[in-house]
Amino acid sequence: MGTTATIPEKTSATQEFLDNLRQLPRNLKDAWFRLGRLPESEREESQATFHNLFLHLHSVRVHLRTLRPSLTLGLGLIATFSFLVLVITGLLLMIYYKPSTALAYQSMKDIHYVVATGRFIRNIHRWAAHIMVIAVFAHMARVFFTASYKKPREFNWLVGLGLLVLTLALSFTGYLLPYDQLAYWATTIGANIANSPRELTDALGITPYFDPGGFQKRLLLGANTVGEDSLIRFYVLHVFILPLLLVILLSVHFWRIRKDGGLARPEDPPGGLAEWGGKLHRVFEPLATKTYGLMAVVRGRRPPVNRGPEGTVMSWPHLLWAELAVLMLTIAVTLVLSFYIDAPLKEIANPAVPENPAKAPWYFLGLQELVSYSAFMGGLVIPTIAVLGLALIPFLDRRPGGEGLWFGTPGERTVAWQSLLFGLVCTVGLLAFTVNFGWLRNWFPEIHQLWIIAINPGSILVLLFAGWSLWTLKRKNSVRLAAVALFTCFLVGFVVLTYFATVHRGPNWQFYWWPSQWPVH
Amino acid sequence: MKDPSRLYRWMLLWTSLVALGFLLAAAVRENLLAEWQQRQRAYRKLLAEKATDARGRELLRNFRIELRQVSVPALGAVDRCVSCHVGIDDPRMTDVPQPYRLHPVEILEHHPVDRYGCTICHQGQGAATNFHDAKAEDAYWDYPLLPRELTQATCMTCHDVSRLPPQDVTLVLEGMRLYEQKSCGSCHKLQGRGGALGPALDNEGLKTKHQLILTNLKPPYTTWRWHQAHFRDPAGIVPGSQMKNPTVTEREALALTAYMLSLRQRDVPESYLAPDKIAQKFRALSPQPQPAEQLYRMYCFACHGDGTYGRWEKTFQRFIPAIRGTLAATATREYLETQIAQGRPGTQMPPWHSQAGGLLPKEITALADYLRASPAARSARDLAARSRPVARGDAARGQMLFLRNCAGCHGVAGVGGVAPELANPVFLRAADDSFLATTIRNGRAATAMPAFQRPDGAGLSDAEIADIIAFLRSLESPSQQTAQAQDKSRAGGSQ
Repeated sequence: MGTTATIPEKTSATQEFLDNLRQLPRNLKDAWFRLGRLPESEREESQATFHNLFLHLHSVRVHLRTLRPSLTLGLGLIATFSFLVLVITGLLLMIYYKPSTALAYQSMKDIHYVVATGRFIRNIHRWAAHIMVIAVFAHMARVFFTASYKKPREFNWLVGLGLLVLTLALSFTGYLLPYDQLAYWATTIGANIANSPRELTDALGITPYFDPGGFQKRLLLGANTVGEDSLIRFYVLHVFILPLLLVILLSVHFWRIRKDGGLARPEDPPGGLAEWGGKLHRVFEPLATKTYGLMAVVRGRRPPVNRGPEGTVMSWPHLLWAELAVLMLTIAVTLVLSFYIDAPLKEIANPAVPENPAKAPWYFLGLQELVSYSAFMGGLVIPTIAVLGLALIPFLDRRPGGEGLWFGTPGERTVAWQSLLFGLVCTVGLLAFTVNFGWLRNWFPEIHQLWIIAINPGSILVLLFAGWSLWTLKRKNSVRLAAVALFTCFLVGFVVLTYFATVHRGPNWQFYWWPSQWPVH
Repeated sequence: MKDPSRLYRWMLLWTSLVALGFLLAAAVRENLLAEWQQRQRAYRKLLAEKATDARGRELLRNFRIELRQVSVPALGAVDRCVSCHVGIDDPRMTDVPQPYRLHPVEILEHHPVDRYGCTICHQGQGAATNFHDAKAEDAYWDYPLLPRELTQATCMTCHDVSRLPPQDVTLVLEGMRLYEQKSCGSCHKLQGRGGALGPALDNEGLKTKHQLILTNLKPPYTTWRWHQAHFRDPAGIVPGSQMKNPTVTEREALALTAYMLSLRQRDVPESYLAPDKIAQKFRALSPQPQPAEQLYRMYCFACHGDGTYGRWEKTFQRFIPAIRGTLAATATREYLETQIAQGRPGTQMPPWHSQAGGLLPKEITALADYLRASPAARSARDLAARSRPVARGDAARGQMLFLRNCAGCHGVAGVGGVAPELANPVFLRAADDSFLATTIRNGRAATAMPAFQRPDGAGLSDAEIADIIAFLRSLESPSQQTAQAQDKSRAGGSQ
């Protein structure tokens, strides 16, 4: 490679044509792979990275801290790769799926029973969706607890929040498509959550004049109940609009990582000592007289291989190995789950036979638990508070420090543990209290609904968490620690409520220790 | 220094191996080991065994292992049952095990598989390609495969049962007979005719198990297992059910179950309906009056029995009057007609007029006559002496007499207790004075109502009876309504 086959001056065009034909395979390979073999020098490795549209998303060199599995746990990558798996399997499913209430269910059955490996493909799609939702939540927690949202990464935190919302929306819109009982009633619950402002407007008696809840519900369903219009709406959202938005936001998310200087990590002091690879090294100190552009690094005057003074290694191949490993891990886990556990498909949607309990998708079950106390509070106010609170974190906590380190601020681990305990006690305690003693409506049957909207386990939980966070702010004199307190409580509350509503809520939203104790309907 | 990506390369190796392994395993499982494929391989062996002549050898040669299905868009069916039941139309497959056996030929002659599919008769999940899912007893499917003996129930999708060969639908016919004999229509409606205490049963056969209360049923949960258990012990399956135990044998419960499953209003294209089914549907639009005796058996018997005795019904906590005894002898036909047509509001007796219980005016008249024609009523007729006029009485005196003589059973102010409620508007409107007087004077034979005036004149005098009647009449007037309501709630509270 590298040598150009010289074309003799005195050959006929015919001969030239035949020669070219003969060399076609090799030239094709050269055109395709350019280098034609694995890069051997760091210069070639750099070129491999930035001469490739997809790889050039990476910087040429990557910090060793970034490569440590314990920093990121690969969560962002897992989310991305499960999205990739979802796109591929989703396209395959689209070939067979028919978005019409009359045909959708039968097409699911055909995918399950007749399409070659259709059942397996659908299982992969289902499991990858679960994994993606979990990974996105976990990724957010990781970014928070490593303080990686701090300046200059505030914007990317917001983009990430948008990605979280899009992920949930994608998963939720996909829920309806099989058009079975599970889909129908979960979507009905979801639509009722959208309808939740009605609780307030009803209580105030202004619904006939001002009805944002009904508007939201009709906007979502395209009708008053789940049906043909909802299905096509959800389908278009699920296969086109939301994935498109997600890809756009995802590109911005990655782009911002590059622009914000890679993954957050503690700043190594230039000229000082830093530990990597088990030894102390002097940190690279740029000469004040020299400009270090990317090309300067690439053009040979570069730090020595694998012991670069700034603690970086070449992205090709090291980062690539890491990414491929996470990709295959995601795929392998998805495949194993899909092999053994089938995606659910219940009876065909039947508006006359409500599922009892009708449950939303699992990641909305925490909300559904709150909605069961007050639709307006649980369905609108608390989610809004949660999203706004999350969005404001990087703007309220602006003191640098701890970036890229798990619980990097002094005292953070303690606060996190305390908040975990506090959140656990509050949430479990409130749930236990409500299950055993009921709430205002049980004690004062005649009470005005406005009281219940204002005072219910959901709003009390929010107040408790906010109070705890403010107390931490005062006690520890640190905005970051107050944020840790609030975020931990939020996370605990989310997990406990989701678990509780998944496992312990049965028919008529009654408490049961186990689903096996549900009365059979 | 350690290679920073060593861990990742090992990870990549192992995860790739796992992924590859599971991909291969899935490919094999999904493409080569499907149940229908194994069935067809076994069937090919059977074909080979039976390939003794040229025709048999040709069948074997042409046999392909492939997914087979019957698509019947008109019935919304895509039935893949034939992927395993490959031999249903091969007359040689009589001595082979299921699923390869020949389908009974005479049925297929009239119902070619390619026109009807399988599930229209057998139910089950036609789309499935393995037996567990096709049978669908514990799968997410609304209509699981019917047991063989109950398959006859689905004939009624397209046929009028009375026009089918009786030996083919014995269970359904027996169930129908039992439905009448056990007087199920007293509480349940079919085609708009029947009582209102229980649910209408017009589409009972298409109910799914999720519409039934399964708590007290042991799995597997199917509608027919529920019906069978329920007919044996209604309250044991549905706690708090008011349904009378029909006291049937296992076999009779099965027959009733078959009848219930045959009640299916499935929308099937007209071209699939037997002419007698269409005629039956037309007949239902303009019902012909039925004989009174049959009506009584169907719609009255469950509560009133043969009407000779009054009795205390524990479930209702109410007295059920003897309607074919002295009552029918004393009452006029108009009184009985009103009672049947209007019912007794506030009791379990529903109105039976054409908009409610669905009986035609002619039928109600016939029923009234039927009640009056009972032997007990006839023999009591001479006691009636309806001609004696009733004088105008005094309501205040009547109230005292009522409290002393009647309130023990009929409740203070006639709100009812052990005995029927007398302050009932329908009753008071329909009952004329001479009816009331005769009843008080002679009592009701075979019930707890005694005669208050003996033939020799002892007991209440005619004047006192007139006073009581005046009191009863006062219960009708609007001014008494509030007092009545208060009385009623007091009586209810003390029970």
